[in-house]
Amino acid sequence: MEIIKNPNYDFLGKAKYFVALSLFFIASGIAVMALRGIAYGVEFSGGTQLILHFQNPPEVDKIRHAVDAQAPGAMIQTYGDPKANKVLVRIGQAAPESDLDAPARGVREALARSYGQNPILESSSEIVGPIVGAELRQKAVWLTVLGLLAQLIYIAARFKGGIWGVAAAVAGLHDILICLGFLTFFRFEITLNVIAALLTLVGYSVNDTIVVFDRVRENLGKRRKDPLPKILNDSMNQTLTRTLISNGTTFLSVLGLYLFGGEVLRGFGFTMVIGILVGTYSTLFIALPIVNWWYGRQERAGAPAKATA
Amino acid sequence: MPPALQNPITLWLLLTAALAGLVYAFMRPELRWKAIGYGSFLLACAVAVWPPYERDGVPGKIHLGLDLRGGIHLVLQVVLEDALNATVDDAVTTARDQATRKGIQFGAVQRVSPTSFSVEGTEPARVKDMRDLLRDFFGRSYEVREAGEGKFTVQMTDLYARQVKEQTVQEAIRTLERRVNALGVAEPVIAATGNRGDQILVQLPGVTDVEQAKRIIKTTAQLSLRLVENSAASPETLLQGVGGKVPDNMEMMSGPSDTPGQPTYFLLRKEAMITGRDLKSARVGVDESNRPQINFALNALATDKFSRETARSIGRQLAIVLDGTVYSAPVIQSKLGSENRITGRFTTQEADELSKILKAGALPATLKYLQQLTVGASLGRDSIRAGVTAAAAGMAFIVIFMLVYYRLSGLNAVVALAANLLILLAAMAYTNATLTLPGIAGVILTIGVGVDTNVLVFERIREELRNGKTVRVAIQNGFDRVLITIIDTHATAIIAALFLFTFGTGPIKGFAVTLVIGLVANVFASYFVSRFLFEWVLGKRHVESLSI
Repeated sequence: MEIIKNPNYDFLGKAKYFVALSLFFIASGIAVMALRGIAYGVEFSGGTQLILHFQNPPEVDKIRHAVDAQAPGAMIQTYGDPKANKVLVRIGQAAPESDLDAPARGVREALARSYGQNPILESSSEIVGPIVGAELRQKAVWLTVLGLLAQLIYIAARFKGGIWGVAAAVAGLHDILICLGFLTFFRFEITLNVIAALLTLVGYSVNDTIVVFDRVRENLGKRRKDPLPKILNDSMNQTLTRTLISNGTTFLSVLGLYLFGGEVLRGFGFTMVIGILVGTYSTLFIALPIVNWWYGRQERAGAPAKATA
Repeated sequence: MPPALQNPITLWLLLTAALAGLVYAFMRPELRWKAIGYGSFLLACAVAVWPPYERDGVPGKIHLGLDLRGGIHLVLQVVLEDALNATVDDAVTTARDQATRKGIQFGAVQRVSPTSFSVEGTEPARVKDMRDLLRDFFGRSYEVREAGEGKFTVQMTDLYARQVKEQTVQEAIRTLERRVNALGVAEPVIAATGNRGDQILVQLPGVTDVEQAKRIIKTTAQLSLRLVENSAASPETLLQGVGGKVPDNMEMMSGPSDTPGQPTYFLLRKEAMITGRDLKSARVGVDESNRPQINFALNALATDKFSRETARSIGRQLAIVLDGTVYSAPVIQSKLGSENRITGRFTTQEADELSKILKAGALPATLKYLQQLTVGASLGRDSIRAGVTAAAAGMAFIVIFMLVYYRLSGLNAVVALAANLLILLAAMAYTNATLTLPGIAGVILTIGVGVDTNVLVFERIREELRNGKTVRVAIQNGFDRVLITIIDTHATAIIAALFLFTFGTGPIKGFAVTLVIGLVANVFASYFVSRFLFEWVLGKRHVESLSI
């Protein structure tokens, strides 16, 4: 059984349309983020998040009424499966440093007072002081940048040419930006789990890029007479079946994560679902065209440059 | 499973032996050796993992993270300024005592910042003596500067300040460990965290009473027994006798009186007769009218000192001070010995907690909460269920796909995948790594990457077969050519995971650990085990076609 017989698509020839498409997505993503602002999870923004498990089906309106007096503007919504009797309460105001618990305690007490007929069986909470949140936000950005840089260096060393590393890293950055755009557009919060997913998908995207790069390296050694664009294009076609099967199966298993993984993993699952799609796309239409453009430019500049991978 | 195989040491030996056997088999070219080596390694892994989760009272081998089993996760900040202040305060007392002993006249000695103190108004004739004294006593860890007119500034060196800070955090961690042990929490995590090294991470899996845990953790528990100089119903009356101002060597504190709701104010010596460090033990008891009290015993050295000093102070009040509050101030009736008690208006629970905290020792500095995460047990159970369902769904889909698409070779991939998972879980049990919810996601991703390795190899073999190679050569070429790709892809993925690991916070760290172990296991299972299976099945037979 085979998915495609002898694929022979002209990926590089169409590259400029796809680059334009990517730029469009990145630009719209940035616009959405600028207009709407990135919604940070409680671990980054600081504040209080409670998950309250009620004995009976909770009435969100009554809860909102009870909580509003204590913490005006708190976000209240059903959490997870509606039959699970769980409600999420998110208080945006920073918890006072001297008494981190105060807002959470206030809400629990207010609920016990005016919604006592439906007692809380169990409550989970996440309370983050303002300092930690800001520190963590910085750390996340740095880790992403450094992680990409480290992968860039590894690839540059393995393929004996900085451009290979740059191309893979640019593709990874491209994936992150597009994912962030999608996350903001679909109103997902940026939580620690989502950051973990973003860093993982960079790894996955770079991984995917390397498989094709590797094929290019092998072909460059075997077919010294062929022009680089042809080698690049053939390498993409030769690895196309693998790309589709591997990324297809991983896509479906993270889709399972998104669909069945429960409330906590929903953001993670969504990021991976988008990320695997974008990561596959960026190998074919971003990373390889960058390599092609770079060596093509060198050749046009006069020197009979030859890819060194 | 025989109990001997559940013993951690036996297991450790077993796995180490299996690992050694594996390495040996790996280097031998003979398939027989590989069969024995790989087989016994996987068997040892299975033994190490069993039972994965708690069953019939036998604890599970896979440690579940807070997010899966419920519990508390706290990030505390050690207020290092406290410790620096205390250190400089000690130095101030020493300077004052020594100058007095040498008969040097001086004006004021006081702390001017968390890391420095000043000496003012030294009598002009003895400035040199004062300089020598300060240099002798503090020269190693402080810098002594002269400002003229008998004034000195003594500034802690950066190195010493850093040492004090590090020691404070270490001591705080040790104290917290003792307190958490007194709480009886299994598998707690208490460790320094954060960039500046002044934060402590406390994870208490399975604990549900957040308030109690936080009280026990946060109480500073600075106990001291000090002589009372004077007491009165209001601060004003108290200070009348000493010229309206608290003297340098004394402190004012409030405490209970006979009329409830009406505090008494005490003027206490700053110097303590006994501190929490002198305690040998502390436990709950009851007083004559059956009210809870805390009994404590002093160690031998402190008992001598305490007997001596109480003998000298019969008839005076001795204040028992805990964290800046006077609990009681009984009159010393006779010479006191090792066994003593603290009475006050405790509930039994308060007395119980306090005695545990006192036994565990005082914190060297105040702690501030920066972050708090509590997960209810039922939320954890929901998460496990969801995570396992997702993993099983992903796995089932992949197995079916591989079998349909690659037929018999797909079976090879499925075996490799199972081996990959088994090794991953065994490594987690072996290294006491924690499985978190994002960790389950990491397992799913590992399955994805594992399949990729198989797909890479299989597609390559198909390509070789299409190019007219024989089955045996195709398989050999397939595996040989793909090895370098696999090394590169796994190395970059591990680089990405290592960065996640430095993120430090519980669940994400668990994810990174799972990912790294999974990636390493994958190279072994999907490449080497899979290759072995091909070669083993092929044997020495002449094969015309391959089911791929």
